[in-house]
Amino acid sequence: MMGEVFAAIDVGSYEIALKIFELSKRKGVRELDHVRHRMDIGSETYATGKISSLHVDEMIRILSEFKKIMKEYGVTHYQAYGTSAIRETKDILIVRDLIEQRTGIHIDVLSNSEQRFIDYKSIALRHDQFERVIEKPTAIVDIGGGSIQISLFEKDTLVATQNLMTGVLRLHTTMEQVHASRLKYSELVSELIDSRLSVFTKMHLKDKKIENLIIIDDYVSPVMQKYGIGRDGDGFATRSEFLKIIELAGDMSDYDVAKKLGMPEENVPLLHVAGTLIKCILDATKAENLWAPGITLCDGIAYEYAEKKDYIKSPHDFEQDIIACAQNISKRYMGSRSRRETLKKIALTIFDSTTEIHGLSGRDRLLLEIATILHDCGKYISLVYLGDCAYNIIMSTEIIGLSHIERAIVANVVRFNHEEFEYYNGGSQLFDGLSKEDYLRISKLTAIMRVANGLDRTHKQKFRDVTVSIKDRNLIINVDTSADITLEKGLFFNRASFFEEVFGLKPVIRQKKMM
Amino acid sequence: MAKSDKKNKMSFDFENPKLYINRELSWISFNARVLSEAEDTTNPLFERLKFLSISASNLDEFFMVRVASLKDMINAEYSKLDISGMTAKQQLDAVLRDLHRFVEQQYGIYNDMLLPLMRKENLHICDPADLSGKDKDYLDRYFDEFVFPVLTPMAVDSSRPFPLIRNKTLNIGSLLKKKEGKDDVDFATVQVPDVLPRVIELPQIKEGDLARRVVLLEQLIMSYVDKLYLNYDVVTSAPYRVERNADLSIDEDEAEDLLKEIEKQIKRRQWGQAIRLEVDKSIDKKLLKFISRELQVDDNEIFSVNGPLDLTFLMKIYKFDGFDALKEHSYKEPQPVPEFGKDADIFEVISKGDILMHHPYETFENVVKFVENAAVDPNVLAIKQTLYRVSGNSPIIAALAKAADNGKQVTVLVELKARFDEENNIVWAKMLEKAGCHVIYGLVGLKTHCKITLIVRREEDGIKRYVHLATGNYNDSTAKQYTDVGLFTCAPAYGEDATAVFNMLSGYSEPLSWNKLSLAPLWLKDRIIDLIKREKEHALSGEPARIIAKMNSICHKEVIAELYKASCAGVKIDLIVRGICCLKAGIPGVSENITVRSIVGNFLEHSRIFYFENAGNHEFYASSADWMPRNLERRVEIMFPVEDNKLRDKLWHILDLELRDTEKAHVMDENGIYVKQAALLSEGDKKINSQKIFADEAYEASGKLSIQNSRVFIPEMNPDNRF
Repeated sequence: MMGEVFAAIDVGSYEIALKIFELSKRKGVRELDHVRHRMDIGSETYATGKISSLHVDEMIRILSEFKKIMKEYGVTHYQAYGTSAIRETKDILIVRDLIEQRTGIHIDVLSNSEQRFIDYKSIALRHDQFERVIEKPTAIVDIGGGSIQISLFEKDTLVATQNLMTGVLRLHTTMEQVHASRLKYSELVSELIDSRLSVFTKMHLKDKKIENLIIIDDYVSPVMQKYGIGRDGDGFATRSEFLKIIELAGDMSDYDVAKKLGMPEENVPLLHVAGTLIKCILDATKAENLWAPGITLCDGIAYEYAEKKDYIKSPHDFEQDIIACAQNISKRYMGSRSRRETLKKIALTIFDSTTEIHGLSGRDRLLLEIATILHDCGKYISLVYLGDCAYNIIMSTEIIGLSHIERAIVANVVRFNHEEFEYYNGGSQLFDGLSKEDYLRISKLTAIMRVANGLDRTHKQKFRDVTVSIKDRNLIINVDTSADITLEKGLFFNRASFFEEVFGLKPVIRQKKMM
Repeated sequence: MAKSDKKNKMSFDFENPKLYINRELSWISFNARVLSEAEDTTNPLFERLKFLSISASNLDEFFMVRVASLKDMINAEYSKLDISGMTAKQQLDAVLRDLHRFVEQQYGIYNDMLLPLMRKENLHICDPADLSGKDKDYLDRYFDEFVFPVLTPMAVDSSRPFPLIRNKTLNIGSLLKKKEGKDDVDFATVQVPDVLPRVIELPQIKEGDLARRVVLLEQLIMSYVDKLYLNYDVVTSAPYRVERNADLSIDEDEAEDLLKEIEKQIKRRQWGQAIRLEVDKSIDKKLLKFISRELQVDDNEIFSVNGPLDLTFLMKIYKFDGFDALKEHSYKEPQPVPEFGKDADIFEVISKGDILMHHPYETFENVVKFVENAAVDPNVLAIKQTLYRVSGNSPIIAALAKAADNGKQVTVLVELKARFDEENNIVWAKMLEKAGCHVIYGLVGLKTHCKITLIVRREEDGIKRYVHLATGNYNDSTAKQYTDVGLFTCAPAYGEDATAVFNMLSGYSEPLSWNKLSLAPLWLKDRIIDLIKREKEHALSGEPARIIAKMNSICHKEVIAELYKASCAGVKIDLIVRGICCLKAGIPGVSENITVRSIVGNFLEHSRIFYFENAGNHEFYASSADWMPRNLERRVEIMFPVEDNKLRDKLWHILDLELRDTEKAHVMDENGIYVKQAALLSEGDKKINSQKIFADEAYEASGKLSIQNSRVFIPEMNPDNRF
């Protein structure tokens, strides 16, 4: 028998979409239906920060109908996400509650980095091609309504990612304001994009050569998918093949483009914008090949769910991408590689040996690892206010794959590693938007982090092997080192007391001298 | 034609109105082909009566819709010329001129051919005035008991205005003079009640008498008319019938509630402008003048006929028991479809491969079963269907309601705008909604004419979609009379497209791309034009190029112009068009490669099948759409390819045989006149009646030919007898 039928809902800035999937171990992820309702809430929320009652009513109507469609397929689980337009709505809690009361559909809000990560993950649905493409330096260009995300791959690992506020809808709206003529349109769009791209190029690309572009969007992708404009088909095209079709579309009326490419006529203006955008990125990156796997956020949502439920397994290690991204940030702020490696090793050893005590998840382990990687980024700005600066850097830097809350957890752990811990009921603004559960995660991870940090107080990486065991009310940390650790031992108590406070276990160092 | 000539030809003005036939005149010529079946002495007598009745009922509709529309255009001073370059006034004049001729022909056939034959068969239409004795007593009683109580005579004088004479009703007008008083003449009118049968059979004179005698209700009333106006002398009386404008062009953008708007329109229909007055030839001039002045009809809108008004009563006579021998029985009844064995699981059968059914030769039952089985199948999750015209007591409606009751998700698009069926459809729609179906009451500004059913089923292997696509309506009753094709498939590409169609009908965005289906009003017209152009290119490059297209009507100028161009490029084009055809065949240098034929026979040709040779990569399509502006631009229609080789062979056979039909085919000559092929046959020539052969083949295929079936097949008529 089959696995289950799953629904993914994307409440986007210019469209509400529903995709129905069948998930099974044998067939993986199979799309059954794709329903789209055009609704431009983006223009409204970007400008006013609010969704009008007219749009809320329409959303309720559409989501109620989606529910019926879900029933038609016997959907057992669903996941609904709101993206940038919802994110930028000030009264989102009220709107969400209203929608949930009326439709029974709960909408989660995705941060930009989460959204991009889901998009990115969904490319792995086509994993054979994906692994082949990223063997060479590759950039993923994820084009949304409000912004675009460019992510760079090197040696099959994600190394950098940057969000630019040049989404197709935003560009299109801007162009409408300047009343650009048809002939000038592409030129002006290029000018707008190039100005933003130049910063990105300087910061991330430098002299790097990008070979491939992977495109995620709603306009160019269907065309590349359906018409296999490249010789390989399946959404592949060379630079010249791509440019040819974009130029061809530029010379035709919207009606003729729609007819020729078999797409809705209303999408043609945005196809022009997306085409120009990609052309500019091609120029900036000098990429020779394009691949549009034709996936949408809904595919990513389904993929994530299917992976969680073990229907599919991707050979690609996504956690490694998040870690690589964090390492890259650390590198940008001149973090010490050997120090972070030592800290990571000790912290994760403590984490793994105390799972029964802390009760944290695998995801928390990843957050701890990222905290160790970024633990010293603040020193780039100030050696005195290390904790505060690190906190600010992390909170201002997108780490692809982490939600806003997860990022706040990491930033707080790093901060409290250096600064005095603040308590939840102390009224600290640092915990704004975080739940009590998140606060507890922060305190537990901070406790571990502080112990690990205490063991490497002198930053000399004196401990090569660390094992941890629990005896009575003590956390015994066995260290193998022939180095003099008097200082570490002496200063350890300050660090360890917080651990004791949190877990009720007293950390004790036991040195096993190496011969 | 040399290649360079062919290319030069491309600069020719293919849209010149001289190359086109006016659609109204083309329709009249179609109705003349129907009438020719009444004239055809090889048809059994009762079938001839039926065809005459159908031609009359067709004409009624034509008046109410098309003639009315021409009058509207004239009133609105609409100056745009039609496809053939005529103004509305020119068209109306030409149409009325042709129609007077046509009606004369109808009554010629009735009086000179059919009445004598009926008498020969001992069936008499009697005038009550000629009857006496027991017959007279019977009619006296009949009039007093049944007729008189329901009559409402109305007089017209200075205080009582001319009453509303309802559309399509028979009435008797009289001039009266007060028994005591001045010589003033008054007018009075009485409607022939439509609650009573129009044809009244008289009792047998004596037992064993074979003669069957009938009188017509209006003649009965005429003979007792003085009983209605007791204080008056009836100077003269005559039956008359009026037809009114019925073209409901609802402005949907303005209608707040579409449903209510249509209900309102139905009530209003009766009140339209009079467009035709039918009277008996013998009517008193003064009486006629009075009626025509009150109804505001022009002289050329008055049809004086030599015989009973409204010949549709002949259909009632057709249904008389006891005349089986005078009806057509050589067409086999609808046969089981070989792929569907007895008790076979319909979904299992479709899973084995696509199935193409040719109705009415093959039964429509499987389509009904498809929905009925889905309604009770625990694995079926959802049923979606479009309904255009449904039969009275439709089993499909019942099944849909049952499905909703069983917890299935049922979505039905009921097209309220199906002409003359609005009232009917509102009832169904409300009933389905009550049963828990999600009912879509049509789309604003578009008629949903496509015929599609989608069933979503949960199976071992996952979710599976079953699709039925057809050229004809989901109407089990007309499916016995109309020739249509229907495809069952569970191929995922069709399933995805079908899902997309229903998403669009529910108001969602167009899918990012289509797999197989072409949809009007989105891309269907372009697709057809592209397919024609592709043949033209093939012909120009010396590749095999041919088009065979079968449909009900063709009058889309752009499409016809492309056909002309293709013909000039050397594409051989054969059109099988039952009804309106604005294309002129055989014009030297324009359409010499195009033939047009129309098949009018026992069944109503209704399927739309298109074949493109495509340089040897033959392509076959079926569609719900004719090549008319309304179908391609103002309706939701579907064209679907048929890809399985066996099924393509079946479609090829349909087209091929119809192109060889010699019995029921009428071929258009270079003057636009249709010539019945049977008339051209020499002795010894092979006679081919395609409909009969299809019926025999279906019979043979179902493995029954060897078993003698003594049951008599009585054709069931479309309730409206409407073509």
